[in-house]
Amino acid sequence: MIQVTELTKEFKLSRRARREMGPRFKGAKTIKAVDNVSFTCVPGRIFGLIGPNGAGKTTILRMIATMLKPSSGSITVAGHDTRTEPQKVRENIGFMTGQTALYDRLTPTEMVRYMGQLHGMDEARIRQRREEIFELLGMNDFADRRIGRLSSGMKQKTSIARTIIHDSDVMVFDEPTEGLDVMTSRAIVDLIRSCRNDGKTVIFSTHRMGEVKLLCDDIAIIHDGRLFYCGSRTEFEARMTHETYEDEFIHLVGAA
Amino acid sequence: MRRVVVIIRKEVLDSMRDRRTLLMMVAMPLLLVPGIIILMVKLQTAQMEQAESRQQRIVFVGAEVAPALYALFQEDDRVTLVPGIHRDSLAALIAAERLDGAVIVPPDFARLIAGDRQGRVEIIFKGVGSFGSVEDRMQGLITGYAAGLVAERIARLQLDPDLFDPIAVDGTDLASMQEKLASAVGGFLPYMFIIFGFMGAMYPGIDLGAGEKERGTLETLLSTPAGRFEIVLGKFIVVMAAGVATALIAMFGLYLGVRSFPEIPTEIFDVIMEMLGPKMILLILTLILPISAFFAAVILGLSFYARSFKEAQSIIAPLNIAIIVPAVIGTIPGIELNATLALVPILNVALATKDLLAGSINPFYLAEVYVSLFLLAGLSLWGCAQWFNREATLFRS
Repeated sequence: MIQVTELTKEFKLSRRARREMGPRFKGAKTIKAVDNVSFTCVPGRIFGLIGPNGAGKTTILRMIATMLKPSSGSITVAGHDTRTEPQKVRENIGFMTGQTALYDRLTPTEMVRYMGQLHGMDEARIRQRREEIFELLGMNDFADRRIGRLSSGMKQKTSIARTIIHDSDVMVFDEPTEGLDVMTSRAIVDLIRSCRNDGKTVIFSTHRMGEVKLLCDDIAIIHDGRLFYCGSRTEFEARMTHETYEDEFIHLVGAA
Repeated sequence: MRRVVVIIRKEVLDSMRDRRTLLMMVAMPLLLVPGIIILMVKLQTAQMEQAESRQQRIVFVGAEVAPALYALFQEDDRVTLVPGIHRDSLAALIAAERLDGAVIVPPDFARLIAGDRQGRVEIIFKGVGSFGSVEDRMQGLITGYAAGLVAERIARLQLDPDLFDPIAVDGTDLASMQEKLASAVGGFLPYMFIIFGFMGAMYPGIDLGAGEKERGTLETLLSTPAGRFEIVLGKFIVVMAAGVATALIAMFGLYLGVRSFPEIPTEIFDVIMEMLGPKMILLILTLILPISAFFAAVILGLSFYARSFKEAQSIIAPLNIAIIVPAVIGTIPGIELNATLALVPILNVALATKDLLAGSINPFYLAEVYVSLFLLAGLSLWGCAQWFNREATLFRS
């Protein structure tokens, strides 16, 4: 489970950043990327964090993964506080972004083994999990080829394999289908679904409304760091005053 | 600590498969160092031989008043005497390098010499080039002629030759061959391993920091249970090891370069081999280790700060100059290790190595060098870890 309570994240603004961000930020020393956001992600359900680029989605996910520290508020992941037990939190999460984030000079086998070792798995367990995953994803044919020489689909499979090698209870996906073709996106969507079916806590960020409809059980709409809606997707659909998700989103955000 | 070992193993494997790193770490020092040495020595030898055997076109004015001196120039088979040039045009022709030099003997020369007085001879030349210059050649012939005159005068006047050579100096040089060699070329060795140590650490350093950001793998790594310090330490050790390995390979390259010259006298060769023996290498290694640690921390810190591989390159590459300057200062004769210079990073390594090679290191200064270097290495690692902990560094946009 992920529990986010009154979460705020402020970033210091450099003089250059202030200049680049326009007159609205003239004189501002900080910027609130996330402003008093609270939500809960429960096991066995997919939680979609929805918002346009720059809304604060990645910042929230990075705070969940302990890469960034909250300015105020708190996050607990699988019962562990991100401030006081960051290592415990990281032991319990799998993190994936739209970038394949792989080492080109390693092979899929080496990549997956490296991630398993960093998660403290022993060699026998790594081997067993690798064999299962490679079989499941059909990776055996290219398991020992350098990642840099693989096709984008093969790379994406490798990226999935390294994310799930340690079989964590909580999965964090930061715009995982961004920039991917239909076939590769489908593999990710299938992975997210299988995580839900396995009873894992899944949070993923997106700005594609189609994916929200396809995948999410619960959603949080975020814009300019603030939360505009948080609840189940079915509730959201029930209270929609516009025909499409896009229109409803624009209506919600625009009304603020 | 287990995760640090995991990170080290992965980074070593990854770096060893990187062509750029291998080029910088192995190919460059192993080929470049002997290559430079061979090229320099061959070039110098060829230049000297060419200069020695080169025919020089010289004009001799006043042959009638100094026939013996003229004869010496005539007999030298490396001199071609050019006749028929007017004295007034000599300077212009020599400046334009159409002639190499001129000897001008004034009309009163014969009279002065015959009267046991001092005769004057003017020589004109263009003083460029160091080997077998025309000045040396003309001076040599004139000095030989003068020595003959002195000997003839002493004999004729029945004087004691000691009258003109009142003091005979018997010198006893206590400097060993090792000290002489260390003083002459000792600065070159630290210069080389400092530069190569930095260059060898540069590419892995950039790849392990900025490269990780560019690939997007940094987020993946940060989301694993590996702590920030474990990540920094693992990467730091690999970058440092790359620097040390490159420095050692460069020294091996130097050894190969020296070995490839059979012309080196056995006596000098033995001293060089003794200087580069296992004991000395171990001692030098104790200096390379902390300075490489310093390099690794600085390179990694800047690499983590950069947004991309390219940006990291543009930030770190100019540091080569900052490294070269103190290393070059260390090669200047007369600059010796003292209590103050022992605290100056890089320069202290260069000077301490020079003294170690000469076998004349002051233990107090050496201790000072070690303390300052290890302190610097520790501080720079701590600074690098702090830097890596900053969100503004890791997620700079």
